[in-house]
Amino acid sequence: MSEEIKKPEFFSIRNLIVQYKSNEQTVYAVNGVSFDLKPGETLGLVGETGAGKTTIAKSILRILPEHAVKRMDGEVLYEGQDIFQMNDTELRRIRGHQISMIFQDPMTALNPVKRVNDQIAEGYIQHHNCTKAEAERRAEEMLELVGISADRAGEYPHQFSGGMKQRVVIAMALACSPKLLIADEPTTALDVTIQAQVLDLIKRLRDELGTSMILITHDLGVVAGICDRVAVIYAGRIIEMGTKVDVFTKPSHPYTIGLFGALPDLKKDVERLSPIEGLPPDPTALPEGCAFYPRCAHRCDKCLSYQYEPTALSDTHSILCCNPMKEGA
Amino acid sequence: MVSIKIVMKTKKTDTSNLKPGSLKYVWRRLLKNKSAVFGLTVVVTLMVLSLLSPYICRYDYKSMDALNAYSVPTAQHLLGCDELGRDILSRVLYGARYTFIIGILSTAIAAVLGIAMGAAAGYFGGVVDSILMRFLDIFQSFPMLILAMAFCAVFGTGIDKCILALGISNISGFARLMRANILRIRNMEYVEAATSIGCPTGRIITSHVIPNAISPIIVEIAMGISRNGLASSSLSFLGLGVQQPTPEWGAMLSSARSYIRYYPHMVIIPGLFILITVLSFNLIGDAVRDILDPTLKE
Amino acid sequence: MGNLLEIEHLKKYFKSAKGTVHAVDDVTLNIEEGKTVGLVGESGCGKSTLGRTIVHLQESTDGIIRFAGKDVTHLNKKEMLEFRKNAQIIFQDPYSSLDPRQTVQDIIREPMKLLTKDSKAEIEKKSDELMDIVGIEKRLRLSYPHELDGGRRQRVGIARALALNPKFVVCDEPVSSLDVSIQAQILNLLMDLQKQYGLTYLFITHDMSVVRHISDYICVMYLGQMIEKTDKKSLFDKPLHPYTKALLSAIPTTDIYAQPERIQLKGEINSPIDPEPGCRFAKRCVYARHCCKNPVPLTEVEPGHFVACHLVKEINHL
Repeated sequence: MSEEIKKPEFFSIRNLIVQYKSNEQTVYAVNGVSFDLKPGETLGLVGETGAGKTTIAKSILRILPEHAVKRMDGEVLYEGQDIFQMNDTELRRIRGHQISMIFQDPMTALNPVKRVNDQIAEGYIQHHNCTKAEAERRAEEMLELVGISADRAGEYPHQFSGGMKQRVVIAMALACSPKLLIADEPTTALDVTIQAQVLDLIKRLRDELGTSMILITHDLGVVAGICDRVAVIYAGRIIEMGTKVDVFTKPSHPYTIGLFGALPDLKKDVERLSPIEGLPPDPTALPEGCAFYPRCAHRCDKCLSYQYEPTALSDTHSILCCNPMKEGA
Repeated sequence: MVSIKIVMKTKKTDTSNLKPGSLKYVWRRLLKNKSAVFGLTVVVTLMVLSLLSPYICRYDYKSMDALNAYSVPTAQHLLGCDELGRDILSRVLYGARYTFIIGILSTAIAAVLGIAMGAAAGYFGGVVDSILMRFLDIFQSFPMLILAMAFCAVFGTGIDKCILALGISNISGFARLMRANILRIRNMEYVEAATSIGCPTGRIITSHVIPNAISPIIVEIAMGISRNGLASSSLSFLGLGVQQPTPEWGAMLSSARSYIRYYPHMVIIPGLFILITVLSFNLIGDAVRDILDPTLKE
Repeated sequence: MGNLLEIEHLKKYFKSAKGTVHAVDDVTLNIEEGKTVGLVGESGCGKSTLGRTIVHLQESTDGIIRFAGKDVTHLNKKEMLEFRKNAQIIFQDPYSSLDPRQTVQDIIREPMKLLTKDSKAEIEKKSDELMDIVGIEKRLRLSYPHELDGGRRQRVGIARALALNPKFVVCDEPVSSLDVSIQAQILNLLMDLQKQYGLTYLFITHDMSVVRHISDYICVMYLGQMIEKTDKKSLFDKPLHPYTKALLSAIPTTDIYAQPERIQLKGEINSPIDPEPGCRFAKRCVYARHCCKNPVPLTEVEPGHFVACHLVKEINHL
């Protein structure tokens, strides 16, 4: 075990901090996020609107709007290289080729005036020294792979339905066989039966191609179906991290427990849901101490001066909470 | 505790608790915008000076001083004199009122008619929309100035006709803008919500649709005033608008242009006034547009 | 209790450039007073149109709507206002369903100003009470919608719908745009209000776990038609229509040890423009056969359990 730790991780983020400026205020979007990812592993980032999930994803590829970012700190290490220190040429070699991204809305992720095969081929040509014909062949291969007949390669995005468009987006993202795929709410815009199809497709391709994946979602059900490990985000911090089994069978941070309680169940009958009272904190004015304190069902005075020292519950499971609940709460 | 903090935060900037789009809100944000303040200062100063010009200027704008004809700026005539020896400063200041009157009144005509037509076309759709829009297409198929010239040719010359001509030629711009906004807002759920609580159609249009469609119109009005002020000068320059001896800026330019080689100040001075006025209105319009656009928050 | 709302053979067609859209096609439905009927289906299945047609935001093409025993299919102006007092709607998007230029109190007071003869003081008192009931702090009275978060906005929408003391409320995806923790707050609020005021809900959603939580009866729609209709328990325990089965199997569950065996559907929902007669699900159905080209009525397969499928007995070994 100890030898393994010494060699560089496949992918890791160390103490990522991102702040935006808005109306002369500072938005504390991400406040010190660290995690590692092993090759072939899928990590789920779960959290509610504004928790900082998408900011984390976008800072990995450095595609945050520069004019809005006030501060961006930390390390994003891909095979030992820090993406934050790369120059534009190095960055371009990584983007789309080594790490690629699937966005939430397939309707806006595709260029409406370009044929889908050209859109898929575009990235491939940029990263491979190949002819247009080769790239187009690759595009057709990719379409077949995501379950779209190659006959439709010359069609435009509007000729596809929502689910099909998301398949095209996936084909685009995977055309260069990236080692890491970042999927930002890839199925949120889709209907549930189509979501099931697309999730199965992503799962199958990930296993076939051995791609690592960071899946961002607000849906705990999606995470349960596809991820190996789960990180729960609240107010720009990973407040609970563990394997899927850890988080789903022994949720330990009061927020995670609250999330499960707030979810209507498909099998159990509950008379009343137990919502988490209050609202997520304003990211321009995070409270002192634990950011979850005002909503927490298990708070104590210690929480007000909490400095976010992680509590390890097992080798794989840790939380950011100074007053954790006892087992089975 | 969290919510209290949020409230305290929002109190900090004095505009955030005002309704975006309300006049008070626009005004306060406007005063924070440097170029808008410049524009406003110029416009207001010119307006005041123009109104007071008979009292503050040493010379009447009509009185001729043959000895000083073509005079360059001197201590006696601060901006010089024209070919008949009339004081340019008095004429320019007095003339400002025509630019403003024509700009404002013609824009008002265009806005009132345009908003009404656009709102009707957008809200009722169908045949009403087709008829109104095809009618406006006719206007839009000519450049604005050519259209205004054509109207002047029909109505004749003079300030009132100039206002009418410019007003009519500007209707279609307002109508199209209003129609597009109404179409967008008509499909918003809050309009449906108003129907569901029994709000009569007239009230829906006046209290839910139009107030939400009006902000781009305000911008268009500011821009329209500057555009029409400039157009009035153009018409006068071409001899179609305000006639001599009325000191309209365009008319002044027109009569001075024969002397441009020897007495350029006669052209440059009214030209500068036109430039600065148009610029000021544009700056105000730009600022209002930015303020009313929620995606361009400070 | 009796039926508050009875809908018979309701149709709503739209004309479009490509043909006639059969948004709601021959739907029959009863809603018992004080109960919640959940209406589920995927986008474009006509569930929202059905809800809007019932509360007369759109006029039906054909069919009968009866409210409290009275035919309300066609109403004159006066009857319409009376009807609006009784039947209200809560919208999906709390961002576009509130006029950005009205304050919270304006929004809540407007229906009372329009439809009641209450004095100004009474309306003010009532609107304060409503804010209490739905849980909006009084200090937010003069706030504008853009200053509120999604949950609070939805509370304002609920207060507006309740301002006229309606008997029946159509909830059109009221929690779809909210985060899980806020969604639970709103669902609890809606259920409390129902208990307190004896409200009857038509709850439209695409989220099966939400509909299971809140409904007494559930209707499943597909391309404008109702394909399965029964009480909550039998729908979730024993779905009979192949589409319902696929829908239920597609829901991502948080139970990591019991991931559902997915029933994969072929392709995607087709368009409701000039549909051919026969089962509209047939193109995606694994069981489809020649007989599926014949029109398929909603029939009572088991007591209280209605299904529109020719092969229902065969598929379910009944």
